[in-house]
Amino acid sequence: MKKRRICLCLAVVMAFCLMTGTVGLAAGETWTVTCPWAPDGVASLVSQKAASLSTEYSEDITLVAEAIKGDAATVNTWVLDNEADDPSLVFVGEGLLSITATMDPAKMQFGYEDFEFVENLYSSVFVLSADAKLEIENVEDLQAYVAEADQITVATNGATGSEAFLAAALFGSMDAGDALKLVPYQSAAEAAQAVTRGETDFAVSHQSQILEAYNQEGVTVVCAFDEGPIENGPFAGVEGVGEYGYPFFRNRCFIMARAGTDEAKVAELKALYDEILADEEVVDWLHDTMLLEVDTMEVEDVEDHVANVKDIVEQYIDIVQPE
Amino acid sequence: MLQHIVPASGLLFTLQNILWINIGVFIGAVFAAIPGLTVILCVILFLPVTYSMSAIPGMMFLLGIYCAGGYGGSVSAILINTPGTPHAAATMLDGHPLSKMGRTKAALKIALYASTFGGIFSALALLFLGPQVAKLAAQLGTAECFMVCVFGLTIIAGVSGKSMVRGIIAACLGLLISCIGSDPMTSYDRFTFGINRLYLGLDLAVCLIGLFALVEIVSRAEQKPGELHMDTAKMHDNGVITKDEYKRLARPTILGSLIGVMVGIIPGTGASEASWFSYSQAKNMSRHKEEFGKGSVEGIAAAESANNAVTGATLIPLLTLGIPGDGTVAIMLSALMINGLNPGLSLFTTQGDIMYAIMLGLILVNLFMLIQGKLLTPIFAKVVSIPQEILTPIIVIFCFAGAYSVNKNYFDVGVALVFCVLAWVLRKLDMPPVPILLGLVLGKMTETNFRRALLISDGSPKIFFSSVYCWIFIGLIVLAVGTILRGKLKDRKAAAAKEET
Amino acid sequence: MKDKLGKLCDQMRQKELRIPVDLTVGVVFFLVGLAVMLLMPSQVAISERDVVNGRAFPELLMTLMMICCAALVAKEIVKLVRKQPLEYKTVNLLVEVKALIILAILVITYILCRTTDLFVVGAVFCALAFLIYFRCKKPLYYVITVGLAVGIWAAFRFLLNVRF
Repeated sequence: MKKRRICLCLAVVMAFCLMTGTVGLAAGETWTVTCPWAPDGVASLVSQKAASLSTEYSEDITLVAEAIKGDAATVNTWVLDNEADDPSLVFVGEGLLSITATMDPAKMQFGYEDFEFVENLYSSVFVLSADAKLEIENVEDLQAYVAEADQITVATNGATGSEAFLAAALFGSMDAGDALKLVPYQSAAEAAQAVTRGETDFAVSHQSQILEAYNQEGVTVVCAFDEGPIENGPFAGVEGVGEYGYPFFRNRCFIMARAGTDEAKVAELKALYDEILADEEVVDWLHDTMLLEVDTMEVEDVEDHVANVKDIVEQYIDIVQPE
Repeated sequence: MLQHIVPASGLLFTLQNILWINIGVFIGAVFAAIPGLTVILCVILFLPVTYSMSAIPGMMFLLGIYCAGGYGGSVSAILINTPGTPHAAATMLDGHPLSKMGRTKAALKIALYASTFGGIFSALALLFLGPQVAKLAAQLGTAECFMVCVFGLTIIAGVSGKSMVRGIIAACLGLLISCIGSDPMTSYDRFTFGINRLYLGLDLAVCLIGLFALVEIVSRAEQKPGELHMDTAKMHDNGVITKDEYKRLARPTILGSLIGVMVGIIPGTGASEASWFSYSQAKNMSRHKEEFGKGSVEGIAAAESANNAVTGATLIPLLTLGIPGDGTVAIMLSALMINGLNPGLSLFTTQGDIMYAIMLGLILVNLFMLIQGKLLTPIFAKVVSIPQEILTPIIVIFCFAGAYSVNKNYFDVGVALVFCVLAWVLRKLDMPPVPILLGLVLGKMTETNFRRALLISDGSPKIFFSSVYCWIFIGLIVLAVGTILRGKLKDRKAAAAKEET
Repeated sequence: MKDKLGKLCDQMRQKELRIPVDLTVGVVFFLVGLAVMLLMPSQVAISERDVVNGRAFPELLMTLMMICCAALVAKEIVKLVRKQPLEYKTVNLLVEVKALIILAILVITYILCRTTDLFVVGAVFCALAFLIYFRCKKPLYYVITVGLAVGIWAAFRFLLNVRF
């Protein structure tokens, strides 16, 4: 009995110490960084990594990352709950600012004007992978395949996400919009698996999500949705669709403060993020494990990105969501 | 494999790892035992702790939470008729009646032993058959997943109580509720009535709080003042499991472990599905069918072994193909990636020692779960003797805190309350709540796979008969329906014979 | 006052309502199914190009539900015609009033949490309300329960970082 009590007390003490550890002893001002997507997603992961390094680079600002999945609903709540100068940041991307804003504006109780841009957390270049049996290795093979095909099936993560619009833009601009059939899956991993087992011809995904299927030789990586070829990582050399004049966009994650926040504070936050993102360990980790790129931006770049994606969405909305 | 085992053991058996396993196991068991707090929530809340650790201790800590959470959910299901986690709902059907019979400790012990067996079984499957099983699982496509769902829906017959028709109506209601939110195939909203937050759909854990936990609180209205305190004279519980009971536990435990592994490797399914599949099969195969729902030891063992057997199985596609088997494992993936490990077969070549250390660690986690569970059982068992005046508001507070924590929003607390009212009305109409839960668990998966399969085949139903796996599942479905019909005929004959006499 | 309440309780305890279960379930859920079917066009948008659209699955479910309901009602009508006994469920007025009180405690707790944005306020109210509901007269129980309510909030707020 005595042993049992000692064990229990020890366990309680250990758990308490651990829980106290999670709170941490934050120095300076604590800024909460809300990621409105799944806690296991790319954005949340990079945010956690950045937050864990914040104390190394700043004595005044401690970043605390949290993930509350809910997309527009989470950002709606964030905008309602926060005012200018509140120590709180939120992520938004082209999914919200360009896709949802065009397709379903009623879901958003905010606009770009409600935010103050701090920094872009990362850039991700999506890739188009094909069932290995189709033997499509590059854009030229793809063009030849599309010219012959009656139907083209593409696995995407979700029905109206960035992946769906990239597929619609690529095949739409190849005049194969009518032959395109988008098959939505619940996650990017599921979409990648679908093309591996031949359920669909193609899949659009982040590079990291198709890497294992590529290593197992279940898929070929045809092209990247970028201006030029991929420069780093296992897919280095894969052609960018931009080289052939097809539309594309990168997936980006903008860190935003509430509109009206003191400019000096925003600049301080930007400087902190820039330092963290320049850390060699972070750069290597982003490149090698996450297959992402550091891509710091200015306000004008953000506005250009949002406008570019909006144009693509407006042009290809009929393929993604036909009336 | 053998060349990795020795260095992997060296990496695993450190004081630091053992300490983190034990902390994880303790937190997981206690957290999941509290109604409203789920394993996934626990993993999310404690994930940041692992970011400052290296891969092995980080994973050991999270695996400790994950495995012990599988067992912990059964504790409140047995003690207070409220499943701590969705996958413990099947355990509740027999666990609580057994506890009410004065055998609380025995029920907790059976749950613990079955959980440990299931956990170790799946850990061994992961260790020895991981890559092979993963390749097989990767062949299961949309049509096969739909067949799994249809097979799952046959369980409704077994959990409908007195009237199967009422069970089907309840299941339809659950399936309909699962349609609320953004249509996964088109993104159009469905049944959201202009309420913004509804387009995300309803979280299973939140619905569960209303359907089982809060309604149990409202049902205190049915208690007479004299029933508020546990009759301690009735509690002559020494926790003994008889030899005969051990013999009876063997078959459902092994069957449950097998089902758990099979369900766990299919991405998108999880412990909830596994525990219901296993419970239903154990009932169909049992020589003591009449005891199910009334405190059957086999029922507890079947449900618990299956839901813990899922833990190792969900890691199979994660570690070998980089595909998380369920939501909790998807979050665990972060702990690996933050340490620069991108799971997949190639990692077995480049970082084989770490991968094998994690797999061996899963066995260790289950052993420590057994030890801690044995120490905690007498303490858990004391919960039933806490006065209702204290226990009732505490359960409510935990439920509200848990519902809020899911999405950090009071909207979910409101949803839980709505489900509580719904469950109370259904109780008044003798409608079983379990088919609603099954509908909620299987609804989205059934519909999405059905529609996606037909989208792929251009509307041709031939896709559902297009592979060997589809035919295997069709065979299983026919077998399950046949068993149900045979059981119903037998019952009818028995009732007719009784009437005659 | 106590006597009056006791008398009222006794009166309510005597009042019972017998519900023909299958008949009620059949009618109520048939109406639910019908309502969902009628709401479908306004609540579920579809596209002409969908192979299986978003209404198909809910329509299938509601049709099945309505068939089951019709079967239940038909079975009960046959029983009535044959003068066989129906299955009844007895509902006691006192139990339902008590259930409503508990439900009211839950709803008020929720409203307090939401309006004050301070979970601890609702938690303390909930603890006190249930103790009063159970007519608890032991001061120690009040101290323990309120202490635990605050403790749970503090654990979530400060240890698990759930801001409420």
